[in-house]
Amino acid sequence: MSASLSRAVNVLKEVIDAPIASYFNSCVHCGLCAEACLFYTETGDPKYTPIHKLEPLRRVYEQEYTLLGRLLKLVGLSKPVSDAELGEWQELVYDSCTMCGRCSMVCPVGNDIVYMVRKLREGMAIAGHAPEGVVSATSRTIEIGSPMGVKLPALKAQIGHLKTETGLDVPLDLEGAEYMVLLSSMEIINFPEYLNAIAKIMKQAGKTWTICSTAFEATNSGIQIGVSDLARVIVSRIVEGAERLKVKTVISPECGHAYTAVRWEGPNLIGRPYTFKVQHILEVLDEFRNQGLLKTQGFEEERLTFHDPCQLVRRGGVIEQPRNLMNMVSKNFVETSDPGKYNWCCGGGGGVSANDNAEEIRLIAFKRKKAQLDVVKPDKLVTACANCRIVLEEGLEHYQMDLPVVGLTEMIAEHLAES
Amino acid sequence: MNEKSGSLIDSLERQGVSRRTFMKYCATLASLMALPPAVGRAFAEALAKATRPSVIWLSFQECTGCTESLTRSHTPTLESLIFDSISLDYHHTLQAAAGTAAEAAREAAMKLNWGKYLLVVDGSVPMKDGGVYSTIAGVSNHDMLMDTVKGAAAVVAVGTCAAFGGLPKAQPNPTGAVAISDLVKDKPVVNVSGCPPIPVVMTGVLAHFLAFGSLPELDKLGRPLAFYGETIHDRCYRRPFYDQGKFAKTFDDEGARQGWCLFELGCKGPVTYNSCATVKWNDGTSFPIESGHGCLGCSEPDFWDAGGFYRALSLPANPLHVAATAVEVGAVVGVGVALANRAGKSAAKAGHETATLADLEK
Repeated sequence: MSASLSRAVNVLKEVIDAPIASYFNSCVHCGLCAEACLFYTETGDPKYTPIHKLEPLRRVYEQEYTLLGRLLKLVGLSKPVSDAELGEWQELVYDSCTMCGRCSMVCPVGNDIVYMVRKLREGMAIAGHAPEGVVSATSRTIEIGSPMGVKLPALKAQIGHLKTETGLDVPLDLEGAEYMVLLSSMEIINFPEYLNAIAKIMKQAGKTWTICSTAFEATNSGIQIGVSDLARVIVSRIVEGAERLKVKTVISPECGHAYTAVRWEGPNLIGRPYTFKVQHILEVLDEFRNQGLLKTQGFEEERLTFHDPCQLVRRGGVIEQPRNLMNMVSKNFVETSDPGKYNWCCGGGGGVSANDNAEEIRLIAFKRKKAQLDVVKPDKLVTACANCRIVLEEGLEHYQMDLPVVGLTEMIAEHLAES
Repeated sequence: MNEKSGSLIDSLERQGVSRRTFMKYCATLASLMALPPAVGRAFAEALAKATRPSVIWLSFQECTGCTESLTRSHTPTLESLIFDSISLDYHHTLQAAAGTAAEAAREAAMKLNWGKYLLVVDGSVPMKDGGVYSTIAGVSNHDMLMDTVKGAAAVVAVGTCAAFGGLPKAQPNPTGAVAISDLVKDKPVVNVSGCPPIPVVMTGVLAHFLAFGSLPELDKLGRPLAFYGETIHDRCYRRPFYDQGKFAKTFDDEGARQGWCLFELGCKGPVTYNSCATVKWNDGTSFPIESGHGCLGCSEPDFWDAGGFYRALSLPANPLHVAATAVEVGAVVGVGVALANRAGKSAAKAGHETATLADLEK
C-alpha cells in the first residue's frame, strides 16, 4: 500500500461517524437516489447512482467497523480499497457530483448521501485523486487568497470604479460595522454590479457595513475538494476578520457553496461557535423588506423565472426569501417545475465548474435545466449564485438559447426607490 | 332396501324429497367440492339418473361411530336419504339378515355387480397372530377384505381406523392393526378420515363416484382434496386471536370466556386438515372449537399418539428468559464492537496528518 493510499484509508476511517454507519446500514437499495440525480437522469447510466458513488467508503466502513466485514477481509473475500479503484472513482465522486443534495432529499430512509460524498472526498483528495482544476483552485485560494487568483488591489480597483460611477463609498475595515460583506471572486471580476447593488441597498437601509481587507473572499475550495484541514484555513480567515472588526453579521454573497462553507461547516471546522451571525444576502434583503428598509419602485415587464441554487434551498432552507423578493419587483414571475427544495442543479456546483474533466458531462447534465426552461419559456432567468450564473450562461450558450441571466440582488437594486 | 331398480331421484321422490331440494343439495355439494358452478347442474342430472349402485360395507376393528355419524340424526338428512337410496347390500349394523344368510347376500351382490360395486370399509385390519383378533363368520378381516375387494370398482376407507389404522393401531398396537391402503394396492382407495368423518364428505365422495364414475381429486394421504385441502386453524373463527397473540391459558379463564385461541391448551387445528370449521357438525350447528375445546386432530394419522390432547403443539420453554438472554448477549457484543470501533477510530484520529497543498498533488 502506497503512503498516500494508507493515509487516505486512515482519513476515511476517521471520517466515518455514527450517521455514516447508520446510513450504510439503512440503505434499502431502492434506487430512488438515481432518479433524483441529474447525472443519472440525463445519461441513464446506472454508475451515476448516488449511493454507488460511495462504494469505496462503504467498503472501508464494512471492513473496518463491522464484524462480518472484518472476517471477510481476513479470509480475502472482501478486497481492500486500492489506489486504482479510487482513481476510477474520481469521475463519480468529483466529475459527476455537484453535491446538490437532491439524493439526500429523496432518500426514503433519510440517508444524507451528499454528506457522505463530502466525506469520501476527504480520502480521495489525500490519495491524490482530486481533479487537477479543483486542486489548482484550492492552491490559489490557500496561497493567493482566492480561487481565481484575485488579490486586494483588484478589489480596490473595482471599489474605485464604483466610486467614480455612483459616488458611493465602500468602507474597508470599518470596525464595529453591523454587516461585513463577503464577495466571491466571480463577483469581483465578472459581476461587479453585485458590489454596486450592495452599496445602494445598504445606503437606502441606513446600515453600517464594511469589507474586510484580509477576508473579502467567501468561496472555499477546501469544501469543494473535500479537505477539512484546508477548508479550516480558509474559513478561519473570515472568522478572524469578522471578530477583529467586531461585526454583528457576516453576509454570504450570491454563491451557494460559500454559504454552506461559512454558515454550516465553518463552526464545525474551527470547533467552536462564532461570535457573529451569518446570513445569506437574500436572507438579509428579505429581512430589510420585512422591516420596511427595502423600498422598490416599478416592476419588470418581462416573464421571469428563478433558478434556486441548491446550497441555498436544500442545504440552507432559503426558499421563501427569493420568492418574496421576486414578487416585489415582478408581476410576471413564473416557477419552473420542481421549484424550491426539489430544484434541479445547474450542473456546475461542488467544484464541477472548476473541473476540466467534467466539461462534457456537465453540458449533458444541463439538458435537465434546458428542458425545464423550454417548458416555461422565460424572457430572463434570475438566480442568486455567481457560480450558477456562469454555468447557466455557458449551458445556454452551448444549446444556443437566447436567455439573459441576472442576479437577484442586482435586480432588486435596479428597482430601489429614489430617496 | 331390497329394491334394486329405479333411479336415485325416483327413490328420493318416493321419500318426499322434491326435485328442487335435490338440485339445491347438488349445487351445495358441488360448491363444497370446489367444482365449477356449471358442474352443479350436470352433477344433479347425472346423479338423478344414476341407478342405485351396489355398495358393500365391511366393518372391521371399529366402534360403529362412523356408521352412527353417517346415518343417525334427529331428522332425516339428504345424506341419510341418499344412503337409503343406494343398494346397501351388506352392512353389519343395518342389515336384517344374520349368519350364513348375511354372508350369502354379500356373495350374491358381489357376483351380480362384479367389477362395479363400491366397497366401503370402516375399521382397521388386525394382522398379528394370523388376524385372530377380529373375525366375521369365522373369516379373518384380512381374508374377507382381500376376497371382497377383488370385484370392487373402488374402495372407500371410512373413518380414521380404516384410513390410517386409528385407535386400534395406537401404541402398543396389540392386534397389529393396519390401514386399508396398506393392504389394497391394486384398486383406487379413498380415505375419508375423521373420528368420525363428516357425513357430507362421505356423501360427496359417493355422489362424485355416481355422477362421474370416478373418484375426486385426492391429497397426499388419499383424502378428497376438496374437504381436506385446508387446516382447521386456517379457517377457524378464533384465528384472529391467534394472530393477535391472545390465548386462553386454562379452560375457564377470562381468555377462554372471551373465545380466545385454544392453541396453548393443545388445539391441533394448525396441523389438522379437515373441513369441520366450514361445514361444521350436527346440521351445521357447530364444531368442537366452537364448543370451547381444542381440535384433537382426529383426521390425521396416529392422532391418538400425537403427544397428548392438552399439550400445545409448540411453545418456547420460557420466551422472556430467552429474550432477556438475547438482549444481554446482544448488549455485550454491541459494547464489544463499539469499543473495538472506538479504538479503531481513535487510532485513525491519532494517525491523522494535517493535509497540506502538497498532499493534493499525485
